[in-house]
Amino acid sequence: MKYSIFGIPIEEEFKYKARGLIIVLGILLAVLFTGLLNMQIFKGAYYEGLSRNNRMRFMSIKAPRGRIVDRNKVVLADSRPSYNIMVIPEDIADVKAIASKVSVLLDKDQKEIEDKINGALSRPYDPIYIAQDISFDQLARVEMEIFNLPGISIDAVSEREYIYKDLFPHVLGFVGEISGKELKLYDGEGYRQGDLIGKIGVEAACEKMLRGKKGRRVFEVDALGRKIKVLEEHQPLKGSEVWLTIDSRLQSIAKEALQEKTGAIVAMVPSTGEILTMVSSPSFDPSIFLSPMTPEMWKEIMKDPMHPLENRALRGQYAPGSIFKLVVSLAGLSEGVIVPENRVFCGGYFNLGRRTFRCWKPHGHGSVDFIRGLGESCDVYFYTMGRAIGIDLIAKYAQELGFGRPTGIELDEATGLMPTQAWKRKRFHDKWHPGETLNTAIGQGYIMVTPIQVAKAMGAMVNGGKVMVPKVFVATQPRVEKEIDIPERDQAIIKEALKYVVQGDSGTARVLRDPMFSIGGKTGTAQVARAMTSKLSDESDIPYPLRDHAWFFGFSPIENPEILVVTVVEHGGHGGSIAAPIVGEVIKGYYFLKDYSREQLF
Amino acid sequence: MSSYSKILENIDWELITLILALIATGLVALFSATYFSQTSIFWKQLVWIAVGLLAMLIGFVLDYRFLMRLAWPLYVLVVILLVVVLGIGREISGARRWLSLGPLGIQPSEMAKIMIIIWIGYWGSKKKNLEDYGFRELTIPLVIILVPTGLILAEPDLGTAGMLMLISIGMFLLLGIRRSTLIISFLLFLGVLPIAWFSLKEYQRLRILSFIDPSRDPLGSGYHALQSKIAVGSGGFLGKGFLHGTQTQLRFLPEHHTDFIFSVVAEEWGFLGSALVITLFFLLITKIIAIGLKAKDRFGAMICFGIAILITLHVFINMAMTVGMFPVVGVPLPFISYGGSFMIINLACIGVILSVAWRKHMF
Repeated sequence: MKYSIFGIPIEEEFKYKARGLIIVLGILLAVLFTGLLNMQIFKGAYYEGLSRNNRMRFMSIKAPRGRIVDRNKVVLADSRPSYNIMVIPEDIADVKAIASKVSVLLDKDQKEIEDKINGALSRPYDPIYIAQDISFDQLARVEMEIFNLPGISIDAVSEREYIYKDLFPHVLGFVGEISGKELKLYDGEGYRQGDLIGKIGVEAACEKMLRGKKGRRVFEVDALGRKIKVLEEHQPLKGSEVWLTIDSRLQSIAKEALQEKTGAIVAMVPSTGEILTMVSSPSFDPSIFLSPMTPEMWKEIMKDPMHPLENRALRGQYAPGSIFKLVVSLAGLSEGVIVPENRVFCGGYFNLGRRTFRCWKPHGHGSVDFIRGLGESCDVYFYTMGRAIGIDLIAKYAQELGFGRPTGIELDEATGLMPTQAWKRKRFHDKWHPGETLNTAIGQGYIMVTPIQVAKAMGAMVNGGKVMVPKVFVATQPRVEKEIDIPERDQAIIKEALKYVVQGDSGTARVLRDPMFSIGGKTGTAQVARAMTSKLSDESDIPYPLRDHAWFFGFSPIENPEILVVTVVEHGGHGGSIAAPIVGEVIKGYYFLKDYSREQLF
Repeated sequence: MSSYSKILENIDWELITLILALIATGLVALFSATYFSQTSIFWKQLVWIAVGLLAMLIGFVLDYRFLMRLAWPLYVLVVILLVVVLGIGREISGARRWLSLGPLGIQPSEMAKIMIIIWIGYWGSKKKNLEDYGFRELTIPLVIILVPTGLILAEPDLGTAGMLMLISIGMFLLLGIRRSTLIISFLLFLGVLPIAWFSLKEYQRLRILSFIDPSRDPLGSGYHALQSKIAVGSGGFLGKGFLHGTQTQLRFLPEHHTDFIFSVVAEEWGFLGSALVITLFFLLITKIIAIGLKAKDRFGAMICFGIAILITLHVFINMAMTVGMFPVVGVPLPFISYGGSFMIINLACIGVILSVAWRKHMF
């Protein structure tokens, strides 16, 4: 006999409990038994009827996408009804016959329709479209014939509409058919093949809000697949509206001002970080992505050397040129290196070791103080100061102002680059050369910035030191990223210099001088190919791809600024002559619109 | 020669016959389920069965007491895998359950079920007297069981976590628990229930709600439940016949070769066929329990009981789900559903039970 503990056999120990286990098992299986008995025998006929006439069809109804409106509630992106011809492959008895009828009604190729239906036969219960967004004429013809077209139905869906076409595409982005990758990524969120999804811009960033909730329809079809009656219907829920801080009128003024030039414009409210305008050029019409694209079309867009899809305001990275001198000014003033009254002599060049660094003005500025140094953008002044401050301190202030990292705007953006000694060691395994500090001090060399970063940083320079996170959604609360302590005296002298840029006798943006407007700003010219071009005196002699990028940032009024505009024109040449007038037009447009709306009010 | 025949003589051929009958039933159903679309699945299943039978042979040849030494290492391994799967597991539908090992995917939560049976068996085998357990004795094993259960809940995999708890409770009940302890535990459970409901994920709550009211979501899980019910119900008494199940062949049910395989049996073979499958399972489980009772030591007995509970739960939940009496939770039917690792693990378990049955004659 087998014994376990204290001579008690296993069988004795577990006998009653095992019997309990068998009873539980018996009960559970009896429950199943009863369930089966009930379903298969008592209700068997009922279920058999259901199965024989399993003519229930399920269809999800796409939700209209939410609208996108500008700050004045002008609709920028909307949904409009569109009609598609839908087929449930299972319900088509004779593909050829149907395809030939439909092809006549729609004036489409019969073979194409046949292929579409045949291609979907592996999933016969999933509805497919054989024609999308048909005209009213086509709709009327199909509607009249619908009873001779078993298995075919008309599906009303809502289609995205971008009202201003190529005015906002970089901000709004666009929707397109969901890709296999996205389907996997958003698995479980109710997306299906053929659904539209925001690809870039606001459409992508606010996908959750905009998409709404799908409805569904359960209906019964007859043996020929014709809809007999709707058994159940849940209306889809329209997506929520997204309210942007963008002013569409100022946007179109800005776009006009930039004309066909390649570049970007950002207009921002410096005290809140609200973006009023965001232009990127060249542009495109987002509607092209709504209809299925051929691979050739894609290739053409992707291969375009001007990269029209890229939002240059957020993703274009350029050297900041002289605009960066403001950052050096802030660092110098705060660290006590720059004493505004102290003068630096500029003879047109600066010697460092065996190398000579040139000022943009070949014969030099003579003896300059801080106001003229910044106002006339004297390179030698900033070589001197930059060298005294040192790269890491310059980088510290630049980083406080937000350079070298994303600004935090709600849309996809580039990081830019703010070099430091540590960065260089890591990236190139090389030590930082003093000459590179000089280059950085005038905004050249490794440093890379995006227009939105410039707007954010310059906003802090003119609003008293508050680094505001830029935002495009009204619903986002204004956020102060950092409050830089800039003494009143320094603020005043910086503004004085920025005023000098526009209003001073030798300011680099004298073209903007206008007694009607209080405008300050700073020019910048980002060199693209230095050595070659310096020999050519006339701008128009320089080949286009080697021409410098022109920067300007302007703000108005100088005291308590309401608007700040940053523009960059790729290969535009000089900031003062090319970029400044564009900013001037946007600022004037801003005031025009302000007066206009005031008149409207009274 | 005589010793050789003795080995064969002492093998539990009844158990093997039952298993082979279930596997055959499964193959018939699977053939029909994949007849029109994915015939390759049927052949793959044959390969899995072959591998599984090999695993069964290994389980039989090895002395099951060797598993006692594996209790702790296995426990540690499973817990580590469960932690790893939370970190780098493949995310499918918002849950991390799968670990990719090259071309293979493993589900540590599935391993946890077997591990817990071995561990509790091992723990119970050290019992020194015949007194029932109270809270004092149960605290440590409870904590030890709650660690993997918690990790599985975090994946989240509600179904497996629940099953792990049920297996543990069942095995503890068999080992003996004091009545007072039972009553207090039950009251505690009732108290925790509302908290548990609110800590569920949205989709888990939806599944339970759609079970209570299938019209809530006819396209989602409710759709499965409804189509499965139509398949089962329309089978009637004799069924529609092999390869003639319209629900099956028209592919109303997307998963009918895995979790909903029983609906194929019920539709094509009717009440007779489904009753036969239920009877086979009843015989199988009672057979396993009987082997446990005849085991030589307590560890062998507990392993048998644990596996009996595991199979019972799988069978009940799967079939109840198919006939619409239980929410759709994704539990396959042992020996019948398509799936490699599930088939192999189950057959390996049967091997261990054969080993328990055989070794009662030794020593």
